[in-house]
Amino acid sequence: MISADINVVLPEILLALFAMAALLFGVYTGKDKTAPLLVYLTSFVLVALAIWVGFSGAGTETAFNGAFIDDGFARFAKVVILLSGAAVLLMAQEYMLRQGLLRFEYPVLVSLAIVGMMMMVSAGDLMALYMGLELQSLALYVVASLRRDSAKSTEAGLKYFVLGALSSGMLLYGASLTYGYTGTTLFSGIIGTIGEEGISLGLLFGLVFLITGLAFKVSAVPFHMWTPDVYEGSPTPVTAFFATAPKMAAMGLFARVMFDAFGNATHDWGQVVALLSVLSMFLGAVAAIGQTNIKRLMAYSSIAHMGFALMGLAAGTAGGVQAMLIYMAIYVTMNVGTFAFVLSMEKDGQPVTDIASLNMYSKREPLRALAMLVLLFSLAGVPPMVGFFGKFYVLMAAVDAGYMWLAIAGVIASVIGAFYYLRIVFYMYFGDEQKAGLDGTMNPVLWGFLMASAAVMLVGVINLFGIEGLALSAAETLVN
Amino acid sequence: MSLFIIVALPFLGALLPGLMNSAGRAATAGVTFAISLAAFVGLLTNLPTVLAGEVVMARVDWMPLLGLNFSLMLDGLGFFFALLILGIGLLIIAYARHYLSRDDNMGQFFTYLLLFQGAMVGIVLSNNILLLLVFWELTSLSSFLLIGYWKHLPEGRQGARMALTVTGMGGLAMIGGMLILGEIVGSYDLSVILQNRDAIQADPLYVPALLLILLGCFTKSAQFPFHFWLPHAMAAPTPVSAYLHSATMVKAGIFLMARMWPVLSGTPEWFTIIMTVGLITMVLGAVIALFKHDLKALLAFSTVSHLGLITMLLGTGTAFGAMAAVFHILNHATFKAALFMSAGIIDHEAHTRDIRRLGGLRKLMPVTFVIASLAALSMAGIPLLNGFLSKEMMLEEANHTVLFNSPWLVPALATFGSLFSAAYCFRLIGHVFFGPVRDDYPAKPHDPGSGLWLPPAILVVFVVLIGVAPFMAEPFVKLVTASLLGDAAEVPKAYFKIWHGLVPALYMSLIAVVGGLLMLLIFKPSLRLWDKAPRPEAKVIFEAIVEGVVRLARALILPLHNGAFTRYAAIGAVVFVVAGYHAWTTGTVGATTRTLQAVNFVSIAGWMMLVAATVGMVLMHRNRLLSLILIGIVGLMVSIGFVYFSAPDLAMTQFTVEVVTIILLLLALNFLPNTTPIESSILRRVRDAGVAVIGGLATFALSYHYILRDAVSAPISEFHVANSYKGGGGTNVVNVILVDFRGFDTYGEIIVLGIAALLIYALTESLLSGPVRARLLNRKPDQARAGDKHPMMMVVMTRVIMPVVLMVGFYIFLRGHNEPGGGFIAGLIVSIGVVMQYMASGFGWASARLRYPYHGVIGAGVLIAGLTGIGSWFVSKPFLTSDFTYVRIPPFEKFELATAALFDLGVFLAVVGAVMLSLESFSRLARLAQEPSDDEPMDIDPSRDDLPTSLASSEKEGV
Repeated sequence: MISADINVVLPEILLALFAMAALLFGVYTGKDKTAPLLVYLTSFVLVALAIWVGFSGAGTETAFNGAFIDDGFARFAKVVILLSGAAVLLMAQEYMLRQGLLRFEYPVLVSLAIVGMMMMVSAGDLMALYMGLELQSLALYVVASLRRDSAKSTEAGLKYFVLGALSSGMLLYGASLTYGYTGTTLFSGIIGTIGEEGISLGLLFGLVFLITGLAFKVSAVPFHMWTPDVYEGSPTPVTAFFATAPKMAAMGLFARVMFDAFGNATHDWGQVVALLSVLSMFLGAVAAIGQTNIKRLMAYSSIAHMGFALMGLAAGTAGGVQAMLIYMAIYVTMNVGTFAFVLSMEKDGQPVTDIASLNMYSKREPLRALAMLVLLFSLAGVPPMVGFFGKFYVLMAAVDAGYMWLAIAGVIASVIGAFYYLRIVFYMYFGDEQKAGLDGTMNPVLWGFLMASAAVMLVGVINLFGIEGLALSAAETLVN
Repeated sequence: MSLFIIVALPFLGALLPGLMNSAGRAATAGVTFAISLAAFVGLLTNLPTVLAGEVVMARVDWMPLLGLNFSLMLDGLGFFFALLILGIGLLIIAYARHYLSRDDNMGQFFTYLLLFQGAMVGIVLSNNILLLLVFWELTSLSSFLLIGYWKHLPEGRQGARMALTVTGMGGLAMIGGMLILGEIVGSYDLSVILQNRDAIQADPLYVPALLLILLGCFTKSAQFPFHFWLPHAMAAPTPVSAYLHSATMVKAGIFLMARMWPVLSGTPEWFTIIMTVGLITMVLGAVIALFKHDLKALLAFSTVSHLGLITMLLGTGTAFGAMAAVFHILNHATFKAALFMSAGIIDHEAHTRDIRRLGGLRKLMPVTFVIASLAALSMAGIPLLNGFLSKEMMLEEANHTVLFNSPWLVPALATFGSLFSAAYCFRLIGHVFFGPVRDDYPAKPHDPGSGLWLPPAILVVFVVLIGVAPFMAEPFVKLVTASLLGDAAEVPKAYFKIWHGLVPALYMSLIAVVGGLLMLLIFKPSLRLWDKAPRPEAKVIFEAIVEGVVRLARALILPLHNGAFTRYAAIGAVVFVVAGYHAWTTGTVGATTRTLQAVNFVSIAGWMMLVAATVGMVLMHRNRLLSLILIGIVGLMVSIGFVYFSAPDLAMTQFTVEVVTIILLLLALNFLPNTTPIESSILRRVRDAGVAVIGGLATFALSYHYILRDAVSAPISEFHVANSYKGGGGTNVVNVILVDFRGFDTYGEIIVLGIAALLIYALTESLLSGPVRARLLNRKPDQARAGDKHPMMMVVMTRVIMPVVLMVGFYIFLRGHNEPGGGFIAGLIVSIGVVMQYMASGFGWASARLRYPYHGVIGAGVLIAGLTGIGSWFVSKPFLTSDFTYVRIPPFEKFELATAALFDLGVFLAVVGAVMLSLESFSRLARLAQEPSDDEPMDIDPSRDDLPTSLASSEKEGV
């Protein structure tokens, strides 16, 4: 029985073992000198695992009495997490080396965080949920303050830690209330109790606290406060990581808990999630307008995007989950490309994050500017870029579920949000030549990711690379 | 030819010019022309079907899940627009080949142009509103690239920005409208939507849908108040202006209104909004156009004005209005494109477009003069030219239109607009071509080669042809009108004639033309008046709006996100309270099911002390020692509260934890200043106090609410109470949960505890090897040290107490399973005993008597607990299954032996080790600061006669 269980969690176990082995290897050999090797090795392992998870059998398997679920939904999320993790890791390599930041702990911490994320999306029990969440968060707290000699980075790490701990506390409180009123930590047990007895007031409290804790993790308004500071303060490769894999994991977890544990109370949490969604979309859109730092801008942009993803979740239907998954996959791809560009922004060998430095970029680097234009249009959700389809999917899911007001609010928010993406495009194409401020070449790896991501945004319109169907079957395993 | 190929040709062909740049300019233009021609011919092959009144359809599923299908439809309306797009496109390509200079990257230009052409054709042939949306934004994108083609011109930047911002955001808004339409009808296919007029107009969401769609149309077609972007986009090369900004792209909004006419029109909302906007745009555009000196700006505003005119005609909601609109679209496309190209020729030859620097070109450029004059006269509404016909129809329609209950408002404004329209046309002819020949042109103007003048000449041929023989255009216009109207209305019977008799429209036309001539006569004084009159400049307003939006966004966001934790905490607290209050006021509140327990003196006293200590803590938190004592009181009161509510176990745990933490904190306090600095102003503190009080009251309200109500479900505790003895062999439920039900958790916890202690140890270790070491060594205590560091009384006391403490610990440990107690508490008690030894007798003395290192103690604890768990595998039970039995060893009573006790031993050891290791780490810091290490347990020991070294040295210094 144990062996069957272990078989189900084998990818996670292997990755965890790999992380530990890599740590030992790093400590007992060349320390930071082994870092580049470890980065490549880790990326390779992540990609290999992604392929394995992606092509491993269909169907749903559970392990440890239902505490761990391996189903289509989990596999979809895991593939996105693993691939984006590998991509961001590869992108980080050159930048960190240049900035003297590349420590051998970095790939190890990223692997551990990814183990946590894989746990999160597969959690079938409040305990497994918490374990995964904390494993992820603890690793992320550390990488946020990777640049120890920078006050900003340290501050970012500390802030992330304090607010993250607070949110964990909320989540735990919610989990204990849920346990207290259902008598089980298993999602299947919770949903069974609700089915039999209805949702009691105490359980409702637990639910709200759980949502609060999770909303912190997906940085939904009004629990988003940490996001801009942490995005701005962390080293850029770390910010890139924050903006991709953990977001997918947190959304996956959110969906997992809501549907697996509270799937028959969609109305109860739907309205809360809808509120989070609409607040996030508007705050993200409005706040980004006044930003001058591109990392901070991306933080607000991610808040707005999470709002859209939450809209899919709020719908409470299989279509909504499908839309959310598609949205997240597209969002992660766009962010990989955008951050590949941000990582390459430098002047006189120093990294630059000021938006004004992009003035007239198209003149110096027409191809890169064009790729960035495609990505920004896609982020804004302008048809026909792939970003539009993600947005349209969630809007339609919300409409189908009767949340017409939410969909219209989303459209208005996206109109507001388009403003700041278009502003960057404007700077790049028609800015003030005097203020131009970028030089330096682009590392081929970053260039490759930027171009690939932009190409995906264009070519993907043909059939979204077939992820619609995958996302649908993934969503159907979750919602039934 | 298949519709797919017609749409795909420009897109696929767009690759060629970009790649053929090296093949020469003629080849590049030739290829582009050939591609457009192929698409044009392909379109014409469908003419017979369209003329027969049939609709050509083509469909491929694209993303069926989204309702997005690649579905195309060619009906009269679509054919009409596609004809304009491809036909004028051909002329523009020919024109551009001669217009662009050798320095311009022609391949890139034609690539963008073909992309744009494909997108436009896509819009007009779409049979799916989502597909239409996709093409719609593609035109925004490709037009952005075309406007930005001449990046080196500074005025182009602002124009491109406005165009992109306005049309891009308008297009996004339209998504919402499309979404609502699709939701009402249940399909995104136009052919289905167009059948559901009644369902759509009856839906409560009709108005939002209409508004969102019109937002898209108005922004694209430069209608008031979004008209400002179009003139600024004129910085683009003239072929672009002629193609995008007069003939095609700006007509996309009009097209969509026409497309949606059958389902959306006819309601008061439709009529009022579109009529008003159209009228304002028409008049405003015409008036501004008259006073523009830049030839292209004049034409741009005149385009705005004519687009307003067409919009207004569609807004009437009558079949006649729609027919007039169609006719005017055709006429406007011909004469305006010809005019733009003429303006381009003048710019090209004379190197200026400023009307004030031109004049007398009639003699220098006769061919251009003829072309431009005919087109301009048509625009002015002179008979025998096509502009006259559609303008007559417009005036006729205006005569029948009642807006805001006023029958004369629309006719008067329409005549007024026409008057100005005529005036700027006359000004164009008069000031550019007539007058004396000047000698200060920037370049010597002369007629260009046929490559430049032929394309506008072809258009002018149509202008005259339709003007002279309107019956030739009549069947086609009626066919288009029929497909525009759909089933919603009949095509009007009216005939296209030059002479309708002395109808009011003719008089109005007459007034306009004569008035226009008069306006030209008084142009100079009115221009002076115009220049003096204050008027809002669109560009300034746009920039002010952008500026304002940015400032507003900052003003909203910066106070919220200033990076301070306190701010975040305050916002979080307020949000929680507000949400809770909202829930309280809007939700249903259950009835109270319990009564309060009787309040007695003891509980009130305890509560008062708790509150007093808390308030005191807040007020006096600046003094660290005092606040520590107050924290101790708070903890004590909470423990007593547990006792009072019959939870002795919790009380004991809480109590011991309190003691240990206070001791550890005391040690840490040693290294901190006595008081904390004041960091915030009084006002801020008052505000923060307010937030805190609100939060506290809310929490109080919530707990009070729940005290009075039963939980709805049965609490889990009942299960534990029922199974504690049966399953776990203990009557102390808390302990059984710890070591049995949730043994795995506890196992994890002791590991975490151990790790935490090791971390503290490691941190101190690394601290001491850093700069802290020097600071510690140089540290001077701010208060005089006590004379005797290790008072004899205390040393004696603690030594006497030690065995007692150990005994109590042992007792607590053993009874844990059934009575309050357990390994955790016992561990803490023993730790307290040992800590007291350290405090009284000094670290050196105490640690010399230590047999086992604390690291080892922790490890042993974890190992024992782990092994206990593994033990259950040998009897094929899951990890940490506990078992118990009763043993009787005479002369003792019967007692119980449980494997859980062994596990508890592990807990005990881990707790002792963790506490002691943390203590040891702290004291390492202390020992470094306080020289020298004390080897003796007591400062004054009767059994010794010599003074300890530390005392002796301080005596020498006279302390």
